[in-house]
Amino acid sequence: MLLLGIDVGGTHTDAVALGPKGIEAQVKVATNHEDLLSSIKSALSEIVKTADPSRIKQLNLSTTLSTNAIVEGRFEDVGVIVSAGPGLDPHSFMICKDFHVIPGSLDHRGSETKQLNNLSLEEAISSCRKSGVQVYAAITKFSPRNPAHEKEMELAIGDNADFITLGHQITGRLNFPRRIATAYYNCAVWRVFNKFADAISGTLEEMGLGHIKVNILKADGGTMPLPLSRRVPVQSIFSGPAASVMGIIALCKITHDSIIYDIGGTTTDIAIFVGGTPLIEQEGINIGSHPTLVRALKVHSIGVGGDSAISILEGTVRVGPARLGPSIAFGGEIPTLTDALIWKDSCDCGNIGKSKAGFAAFASKIDLNPDELADKAIENAIDKIHDSTRELVEEINQQPVYTIHELLENRRIVPRKIYIMGGPAKAIKMDIFRKFRLSTEVPENYDVANAIGAALTRTTTEIELFADTERGVMFIPSLGYRENVPRTYDLEAAEKDAMNHLLAHLGEMRVAADGDNALITASSSFNMVNGDTTVGRNIRVKCQIKPGVVRTYS
Amino acid sequence: MLKAENSLGIIFFPAYDWAISPTHPEREERLLYTQDQLREEGLFDIEGIREYKPEVAETEDIERVHFCFPEAEAIATRSHYISTGGAIKAAELVMQGERDRAFALVRPPGHHAMKTVLGSRGFCAVNVEAIMCEHIREKYGQKRIAIIDTDCHHGDGTQDVYWHDPDTLFISMHQDGRTIFPGTGFPKDAGGPKALGKNINIPLPPGTSDAGFMMVMERIVMPILEDFKPDLIINSAGQDNHFTDPITNMNFSAQGYAALTKMLKPHIAVLEGGYAIQGALPYVNLGISLALAGVDYSHVCEPGWNPETLKESDEIMSYIETLCGSIPDIYFNPPEKSNEGIINGDWSVRHRNIFYDTEGFTESQTESLLLCNDCRGLLKVQTQKENGPMGFGIEIPIGACDKCRNTGYSILEEAQVKSKFRYMQMINRREKEYMRYGF
Repeated sequence: MLLLGIDVGGTHTDAVALGPKGIEAQVKVATNHEDLLSSIKSALSEIVKTADPSRIKQLNLSTTLSTNAIVEGRFEDVGVIVSAGPGLDPHSFMICKDFHVIPGSLDHRGSETKQLNNLSLEEAISSCRKSGVQVYAAITKFSPRNPAHEKEMELAIGDNADFITLGHQITGRLNFPRRIATAYYNCAVWRVFNKFADAISGTLEEMGLGHIKVNILKADGGTMPLPLSRRVPVQSIFSGPAASVMGIIALCKITHDSIIYDIGGTTTDIAIFVGGTPLIEQEGINIGSHPTLVRALKVHSIGVGGDSAISILEGTVRVGPARLGPSIAFGGEIPTLTDALIWKDSCDCGNIGKSKAGFAAFASKIDLNPDELADKAIENAIDKIHDSTRELVEEINQQPVYTIHELLENRRIVPRKIYIMGGPAKAIKMDIFRKFRLSTEVPENYDVANAIGAALTRTTTEIELFADTERGVMFIPSLGYRENVPRTYDLEAAEKDAMNHLLAHLGEMRVAADGDNALITASSSFNMVNGDTTVGRNIRVKCQIKPGVVRTYS
Repeated sequence: MLKAENSLGIIFFPAYDWAISPTHPEREERLLYTQDQLREEGLFDIEGIREYKPEVAETEDIERVHFCFPEAEAIATRSHYISTGGAIKAAELVMQGERDRAFALVRPPGHHAMKTVLGSRGFCAVNVEAIMCEHIREKYGQKRIAIIDTDCHHGDGTQDVYWHDPDTLFISMHQDGRTIFPGTGFPKDAGGPKALGKNINIPLPPGTSDAGFMMVMERIVMPILEDFKPDLIINSAGQDNHFTDPITNMNFSAQGYAALTKMLKPHIAVLEGGYAIQGALPYVNLGISLALAGVDYSHVCEPGWNPETLKESDEIMSYIETLCGSIPDIYFNPPEKSNEGIINGDWSVRHRNIFYDTEGFTESQTESLLLCNDCRGLLKVQTQKENGPMGFGIEIPIGACDKCRNTGYSILEEAQVKSKFRYMQMINRREKEYMRYGF
């Protein structure tokens, strides 16, 4: 049985086939940005040359398709219909030209405080139709507490749309502006993503791989089955760094608070692990200038990488953040961090002779001993990495908490180990160690860790359950599930229901029940009091399948 | 993307695991819907608005302000330490220049806690704002501070803490004490003999709405502030003047609170009361946050808000007008004598019985201020909880003269020798020495 992992990166598309005994095939091909599918196809055909196709069970794919479509603005117009009620002016969140605000409102408990204005809704839809819009996003404030208004909008849009995203289907977490942006992007990339998904399925059929299950990587360090991803393509944005982080998990046994570096050509991605678990962004990832509700691993990128140019500013040697072409070792003209490492004999890559000559020439031009220049450049890069890491850890330790227990008992994150991957990982390992004085590890196969991570990442999902026993209702917004509950419904019952629905949802996605990795991440119950009487309980439960890998591999 | 005109730090500490009792108005659920509202609005995504974690106050922060008997740890719960730490964090953000403004959305509140505390009064055990202000003065030097208390209840605790302090202007606007707890807060209370005119009480009639509050702001609060020229403006932001509040009788709205905040421009706001946890707090807190940040709040209104029906009657308006005519005079032409206390030799002495409503006991207290021409004067307090043991406190104020300072220590020594007191506490702000004795 083989698990395939493909990571379509900015420069290379990496693919691996993992069998019970380890890597059975691995390949690196150049990414063709005009035609991502061709890169995937050529990676796959290389893989099946050595790996028996009938043994392949699953393909996990990390792709920049949605991210690029958004960043480059290659997506279609969306009709965005929102209803807000009191609060910030919803026009502040106007994300596109076909943006319509409909009177109507719900409050924080989901009670309707003002009916949706049907007339104004009809006008909005007809205006969108006139502009030729074919995909719609409908978002109301507090829809995770009560999706009724969004459903009314869906009904009204009806046949006008090829595809509709309703805000509450994205997540049960609150944040209206982010919900607008997320629903908008989901619609915007829906068609391009679905065409891609069709093409992937077609290609696999052609190659005799029609039997394999395809999963798409998400930014939170999990995967989603291809059929599901067709409805929530926005979840596939920024899955690249997640693949790398999952790779490290697969390759190393991480148990302490740790720092993970993925040192690439242009940037270094920093991720933080608490115990063995990667940290997730509290709210969601930003794309363009819009924050979204897309769950993502907390990854901080800084402009220091192997190809970062060395420069002198007011007598100080600096590395990055600019990348001015490749390293001298690879045919560039301006010395880079990699060239500095080559000069110090830490790194053995590219044309060593040319690199050293170019480096020395640059040093003499600015009147510096090349040794000193290399030392200072490396020191500057390490300092930048070090300072950013400290800031990141400090920021995480400063994150708000809401109960006395959390504030007094929650331990601070104190990193005890560093894991490094990416091109310059080995070359820079000792310098990092000397700066941090922490155990520093570079795993074997660090060069294809991202593809390994993709291959082994398990399917994750997260749900929020909300119950209001005064009203006698329990609902799970992202699943569109709603049920009447008795007044005696309590936190224990809610936690049980949340877990059952989470596992049932996985079942629907044809993922084997993953009970061991299911966990409650937040759970609270508040008595609601009216006058001197307790009238009910306000219960909130969040649970998830923990991001992780199906097995570790070394 | 929205951007804040003033950078704002919000310290949100709802203490979701602490309450006085399950159905007490000051309970866990109080900030739940506020949190939902702020999250749903995406408030923390506005450029310039950031949420921060509270700090945990030290016992010394409390003992710098209060005479606590038997001791701070016995009176303040861990929640109080964090609530106070939240206010201190707000102060630090502003003092360090990290933020232009800060809002400590913390509970439990503090403005009913007096100089001497033996227990909880009006849901308050320690005075959150006062502890914050004295933390600022201890760390950043003497500052002129104005505290504007906009809670519906008279800020009797804060009034008491600053009764003798000429460098702290305390203005409390509140529902008339004849109609509500704690039954105090009248214009005649203008401050102690050394701080006359620095304590301003504005009792407002039940039913006061936006126009009445704004008239008070324009005609009393702002002119006094302009004259006092504080280094810092603190808002004790109680939100129980709201028309839906279950334990008060006022008609103020979220728009009104936001407009008031916009005019006052406090550096730091600290949450006090406010018990309409569903219908008011989410909207009022949002309105205040936006006003502090200088972001448009015109779309913030509570469901069911109808400015026409909430509008105060002409009688109320003309009554408030009368107040506006007379109250500024208390500041600009303070009375010659304090209305409390008698002069006994060099000392101004007041005897008081203070009822602790939350716990149901009475404290009897004698407070004396040494009338000094060179400084604010030495303060001493004798206190007893019903038939319990006696406590003794002595405070050498900031900027104390040598004579008051030395007198303070000799009185302390004498008290120790006579040992009539079970508990003794010395607050020496001059040398930053804080001591406690007793068992």
